[in-house]
Amino acid sequence: MNGKRSSVWLIAALAAIATLAAACGATSTSGSPSPKGTITVGGFNFPESTILSELYAQALEHNGYTVNRKPRLGTREVVAPAIKSGQIDLYPGYAATDLEYYNNKAKEASGDVTATTAKLNSHLDPLGLEALTASAAVDQNAFAVTKATAQKYSLTKLSDLAPIGGQLVLGAGPECPSRPFCLPGLTTTYGIHFKDFKPLDTDGPATRAAFKNGTIDVGLVFSSDGDLQALGLVVLDDDKHLEAADNVVPIIRKQVASDEVKSILNKISAGLTTKDLVTLNSQVSLQHQDADAVARAYLQQHNYFS
Amino acid sequence: MSFLELVWRWFVDPAHWQGSDGIPTRLVEHLHLSAESVAIGALIALPVGITLGHYGRFGNLAINISNTGRAIPSFGLLVIAFQLFGLGDGPIIIALTALAVPPMVTNSYVALREVDRDVKDAARGMGYRELAQVLRVELPLAVPLIMAGVRTSAVQVVATATLAAIIAGGGFGRYIIDGFATQDYTKLFAGAVLVAALALATELSLSTLERALVPRGIRLLKVRVAPRATAIKVA
Amino acid sequence: MRGAVFLDYVDPWINWAWLSSHVPLVLDALGQHVELTLIAVVIGLVISVPLGVAAHRFRAFRLPVLGTFGAFYTIPSIALFAALVPYTGLSGTTAEIPLIGYNVLILVRNVLVGLESVPEDVIDAADGMGYRPFARLLRVELPLALPAILAGLRVATVSTIGIVTITAVIGLGGLGALIYKGLIESFHTPLVVGAVLSVVLAFFADLALAASQRFLLPWAKAA
Repeated sequence: MNGKRSSVWLIAALAAIATLAAACGATSTSGSPSPKGTITVGGFNFPESTILSELYAQALEHNGYTVNRKPRLGTREVVAPAIKSGQIDLYPGYAATDLEYYNNKAKEASGDVTATTAKLNSHLDPLGLEALTASAAVDQNAFAVTKATAQKYSLTKLSDLAPIGGQLVLGAGPECPSRPFCLPGLTTTYGIHFKDFKPLDTDGPATRAAFKNGTIDVGLVFSSDGDLQALGLVVLDDDKHLEAADNVVPIIRKQVASDEVKSILNKISAGLTTKDLVTLNSQVSLQHQDADAVARAYLQQHNYFS
Repeated sequence: MSFLELVWRWFVDPAHWQGSDGIPTRLVEHLHLSAESVAIGALIALPVGITLGHYGRFGNLAINISNTGRAIPSFGLLVIAFQLFGLGDGPIIIALTALAVPPMVTNSYVALREVDRDVKDAARGMGYRELAQVLRVELPLAVPLIMAGVRTSAVQVVATATLAAIIAGGGFGRYIIDGFATQDYTKLFAGAVLVAALALATELSLSTLERALVPRGIRLLKVRVAPRATAIKVA
Repeated sequence: MRGAVFLDYVDPWINWAWLSSHVPLVLDALGQHVELTLIAVVIGLVISVPLGVAAHRFRAFRLPVLGTFGAFYTIPSIALFAALVPYTGLSGTTAEIPLIGYNVLILVRNVLVGLESVPEDVIDAADGMGYRPFARLLRVELPLALPAILAGLRVATVSTIGIVTITAVIGLGGLGALIYKGLIESFHTPLVVGAVLSVVLAFFADLALAASQRFLLPWAKAA
């Protein structure tokens, strides 16, 4: 009977599809994991973070670990819960900003990277996390204006903004109004009250486009960005030292932080300089090379693969 | 305090009703993006669909192009518009218009095709010229299905406009994206409620508009419009 | 084709060199996309058929089912994905719950339409032939409702393929991850590849389902 046959075929087809899906799911975790275990590396949603997490990922893979990559997860508000709950094992953090996140903005960060990292660890410890040795490479928040704006108001440093803040619009990622090193810091340390705040993205294409078409006057960029000069942007000097020691530091779950893993990551941190960050960033943003290619070239150049 | 109480407090807080991130501002932004997109989309889609439906030509082609167009992921469409045209409302409206066109083309084509042959012949027999046939005979009969298409488009555009926040757009999507980025789940939830409410309001107001546009005689006839298939959700 | 010039570097819409050296990345994205879609559609169907049958059989069930899932349907997917993260994390589960919910609405509606379209006399004939209600459902009503159910499956599948891209903002995305990469890194190629493959996937999925209709229902003219 046709009716019965159709039902049977439909059920068989569904079963086949379900099996296929299950099989796909089983094999999507690429092959059998190495005996050394699997480490999941996450990153924030800006290119430098993808580059840094690729450096960690490739170095670990070279040493026999299986690595799952989860790039572009979002802001720290998304990444931190993910590492706390074990969905990721490692991410490239920034000492001062991470400290002020994990200590609920208790204002403990300073320009001293050793002290900052130690304080960070005191907060990470009860969470089962650890900040390894901080790198000399620094990437801080930086506030930029276009050359035209700088000339118009004679701006060279951030305190120059205080008298004219009410005429200017600040653009940054949506997390800026709640970050001590961003909007609140500008208000308390420098006394700047902007006309308006525009939520854009974290040091991304929207911020750059907003500079270009005049939607914002002042924008948050990162001090290690490689394309600022090419874009005709002028970074205003942080003369009152609002920004603290935002050195790159791997933040890892203690469970996967074996001595070997720690030494691999510390080796990368030791060799990384701020100049390196700028070069790597400009290769991605100006030359459109891919983050993983750029990371691989860096690791090879510095003999991490030998 | 329970989560729902927090959300209620959020809505009642006067600070959330003023300024550039306040509910009125975001509402106007969201409406502006949605209304312009649907209006421009209608200006493009309805004449095309109605003309093709009246002459009965190239309908399948039009519908296939429409369906393919609708399969373009709305997220991709918005990012492409951003990379092509830059920041601002313009590119967002271009992307949303592209999204709004397909359901209206399909529905208006089918609506005109479904007008009873006898009615069309009678109109021709009575001496109506081509344009008059369309305007005075076929369109009034086709209004219910055309409006169903406009309604579907409008509700989809209102929902998709929330994605505009990913490319720094305004509207209620900002509450969702910003809430997620700062783990402010009260704000996020409030944003979701506001969008759902706006979508519902859009559906209701366009239904009322449809009822106003359908000629009394046809309404009295109680002609049953073919059950509307569920539209492809794009956001 | 020239792309938007932001930095005096002209980024071609498709950089073939990048594409050929990143085939595994693209295939990975495609695989994740297919997986997320299949799970959402299959589970959606498995839930919808009994739910639809129940709503058809018991009138009182109809409004609550359609009402609940209908209300769910109006909530933009990005809000649901983001709202679920604190509960189910940045995982496939977070993606699947809203996707399945949307599909249940589409499919339940179509199951209902399908079952309601079975002519009265066919049901009477079946009863007359001695079919008990469950057997009648399985062997007569559901097969006759198949055209409507398949139509719903097509809408559900194309819809799901589009919405899966949005899960990129919670760390997944399938082909949407390529789109998101293209956005964050101001890079055209992954964006175009992700969008085009999405359309191609939707096109072939729709085609496959339409073809399966002809195969499953040789007696019925394809809708």
